[in-house]
Amino acid sequence: MAQTKITRLNRRNFLLAVGAGGAATVAAIAAKTASQAQPAATGTGKRSTRGYSASEHINNYYRTTKV
Amino acid sequence: MARMKFLCDAERCIECNGCVTACKQEHEVPWGVNRRRVVTINDGVIGAEKSISVACMHCSDAPCMAVCPVDCFYRTDDGVVLHDKDLCIGCGYCFYACPFGAPQFPQAGAFGLRGKMDKCTFCAGGPEADKSEAEFKKYGRNRLAEGKLPACAEMCSTKALLGGDGDVIADIYRERVTRRGKGSEVWGWGTAYGQGKGGSAPAPAGAKS
Repeated sequence: MAQTKITRLNRRNFLLAVGAGGAATVAAIAAKTASQAQPAATGTGKRSTRGYSASEHINNYYRTTKV
Repeated sequence: MARMKFLCDAERCIECNGCVTACKQEHEVPWGVNRRRVVTINDGVIGAEKSISVACMHCSDAPCMAVCPVDCFYRTDDGVVLHDKDLCIGCGYCFYACPFGAPQFPQAGAFGLRGKMDKCTFCAGGPEADKSEAEFKKYGRNRLAEGKLPACAEMCSTKALLGGDGDVIADIYRERVTRRGKGSEVWGWGTAYGQGKGGSAPAPAGAKS
């Protein structure tokens, strides 16, 4: 009886170990993928560009504010 | 380097909400979201009633930027504070941090569901390509890239709401204040549009002051 119990526990431990190992592998792959994908999502070059320039339209607006 | 700023001249604002309407129309802002609104204090009190148009003030040291847990805010070289809706998680921290109540959320569902934050972009779009369809859908029109200024400021009928290069705006406002003078008589139509101390500009018949 005691021998049977030990055998069952061993088998459970084996399955647990396989499950934990698999989860760790998946997490490692996900972390690697996320760290590679992050620069592409946030590092768009447009963030540092300038949009404003004193065009004729804008200078005309400034003129109208002085009325 | 130009730094974009808004400035509302409380002497001129007539609470017409033209700026609010212009913004909603220009960017096709959905129901429930107001990127800009007009706030009136001392409503109905003669001589003390003032209105100002408020939206994101594009702070130099923006509190929304400081509290965002996913760091979705960024500042352009023009000093415009923008955010990336792809990164926003809708936590609402920016709303609590902003002293102007600028951040808006399109939803109000169960479990605090808010949706992606939306706010004034100074008509400068977002991180997507300039004038692209994706940019328009998420952030509205990019007028700055078209060589224009925010629709609210350009549409303001009394030119109370000034927007543009901070240095130019400051000069325009300083000139107005200098012309107005000071004292208890500084209010009303003649103050806002008259020639002030140096000249004479009678108010139209029926106008106050």
